[in-house]
Amino acid sequence: MGNFSYQRKSLRGYSKREAIYGFIFALPAIIFFSTFYVFPILKTIQISLCKWDILGTPIFIGLENFERLLSLDEFYNSLLVSLYYAFGTTVPIWFIALGLAVLFNREFIFRWGYLVIFYLPVVIPLIVWCILWQILYHPTYGPLTLITRPLGFVDIPWLTSSKLAMPSIIILSIWKGTPFYMVIYLAGLISVPQEYVEAAQIDGANRLQTFWYIIIPLLKPIILYVVIISIINAFQVFDPFYVMTSGGPGSATRVVPLFIYQSAFHYLKMGIASAASIIFFLLMLSLSLVILKAFRSS
Amino acid sequence: MRRNSGRNKIFREIIFHVLIIVGAIIVIFPTIYMFSASFMSLDQIFSTPIHIFPLKLHFENYREVFVQFALHRYFLNSTFVVIVVLLFNIFFCPLVGYSLAKFRFPGRDFLFIFTLCTMMIPFNIIVIPLYLTIRTFGWINTYQGLVAPQIIIPFGIFLMRQFIQGIPNDYLDAARIDGCSEFRIFYQIILPLSTPAIVALSIVTFVGNWNSFLWPLIVLTSDAKQTLPIALAKFLSNYANEWHLLMTASVVASSPILLFFFLFNRGFIEGMTGLSGLKG
Repeated sequence: MGNFSYQRKSLRGYSKREAIYGFIFALPAIIFFSTFYVFPILKTIQISLCKWDILGTPIFIGLENFERLLSLDEFYNSLLVSLYYAFGTTVPIWFIALGLAVLFNREFIFRWGYLVIFYLPVVIPLIVWCILWQILYHPTYGPLTLITRPLGFVDIPWLTSSKLAMPSIIILSIWKGTPFYMVIYLAGLISVPQEYVEAAQIDGANRLQTFWYIIIPLLKPIILYVVIISIINAFQVFDPFYVMTSGGPGSATRVVPLFIYQSAFHYLKMGIASAASIIFFLLMLSLSLVILKAFRSS
Repeated sequence: MRRNSGRNKIFREIIFHVLIIVGAIIVIFPTIYMFSASFMSLDQIFSTPIHIFPLKLHFENYREVFVQFALHRYFLNSTFVVIVVLLFNIFFCPLVGYSLAKFRFPGRDFLFIFTLCTMMIPFNIIVIPLYLTIRTFGWINTYQGLVAPQIIIPFGIFLMRQFIQGIPNDYLDAARIDGCSEFRIFYQIILPLSTPAIVALSIVTFVGNWNSFLWPLIVLTSDAKQTLPIALAKFLSNYANEWHLLMTASVVASSPILLFFFLFNRGFIEGMTGLSGLKG
């Protein structure tokens, strides 16, 4: 029988047959990753060192693209706009999502019905939300005026003023993103062993103390996951900036993904766009590592 | 203290329900407005004071949107693309997941770690070289070009590998003793046993591709081939003031997702967050 079992053979060796079949079954992924990940990534590095308008032949120029980018105000502006958007969106999400998850972490009537309602923003296509919120934000006929007008604000230029455009998209993004992370927190809260909570309460801890000293430490891996994933996701957002503001007014909402898209496909500067991708990737990578480190040490 | 605790409890309950209801209204309001504006006339939408509900149901918006926007074409394009991507994924992801979970071969661990790394690479970082790769294949403005980079989702491999690891080896050994071929073990034992994971994978693939924007925007250049999200963006820039039709088109574009979401809400939420066994 042991002859047939692959896993239970001696730990070190594996039969040739096992290796061959394992390799054959993994082959689609190997081909796929080489074609659509490894090759493109190597290609980005190559193109970032060239001047290329996609039509002619690439001309090797060394690190010139990187030098150009780092002295380009427009690129710095994009980095700042991206940081503003990413943190403006994710920081509120971390807290609102956790708060809502705590609310949902108990039995009450229509709990699952409420959860379905709260999850609606996640499942409906982002492009639909972009169209809808553009209408909601309309200064005179947008339904949001039902709230803002009685408060004394008339004709708020939500998307057309350079001060308000980014906060408007941040509100939309918080509204859309929160439920996704709420459910992740909720799964974490549900898995907190009830005995720990009860033990703390027997020892005289109140709700707030239980939450802070028992639940939060147990939730730490989930919080770390939410923080990193939400930041990576926020840095990738493209649709609302393309559809609702196209980076404007001025460059107030030109996030890096839009900068890269426009450099590549409007201005046909493939080298600049590739170099920007690399810088952006390194920035996100180091940001993730810093967060990881901060969590490890605390 | 004791005497007040009953009243406190009622007070807390009231606050709790008020919070949940207010939250639910904030969350659902845009969706309600989308549905009701899709039944309004343009005059009613652009009237003050603002109406939230239609005075008269204008069902003709739903005919208009197909006549004026040719929405059915984009709807079919999207459906086609999503189904093709789905079929590829529910075959390849379990296959690779099976290999990573149950076989040992040189480079297996590297492949697994590589899969995890690709999950962390933002799509817009590789979008330009991906475009150039597709271009060298001559696949710009084709569905091959649109579909090819999506036929295996790294997350799908991860999901399937984790799930298949939980399938007992005894089943596989028994089949091997009976002389079952390795490929037959895959499609007669592994595939049926991993149905729950395949459902989760299908949901992620379906939502991701139905909503996907940047990649079709770049790869597809001719209007007739566009998918729904790009078509909607085009309507928005061409017919910015025809809100009733824009809302109707939005309802139509969201309808398949909404249908599946209301049918399989629990599976949907669990699948999208990569969780299973969410209680409650």
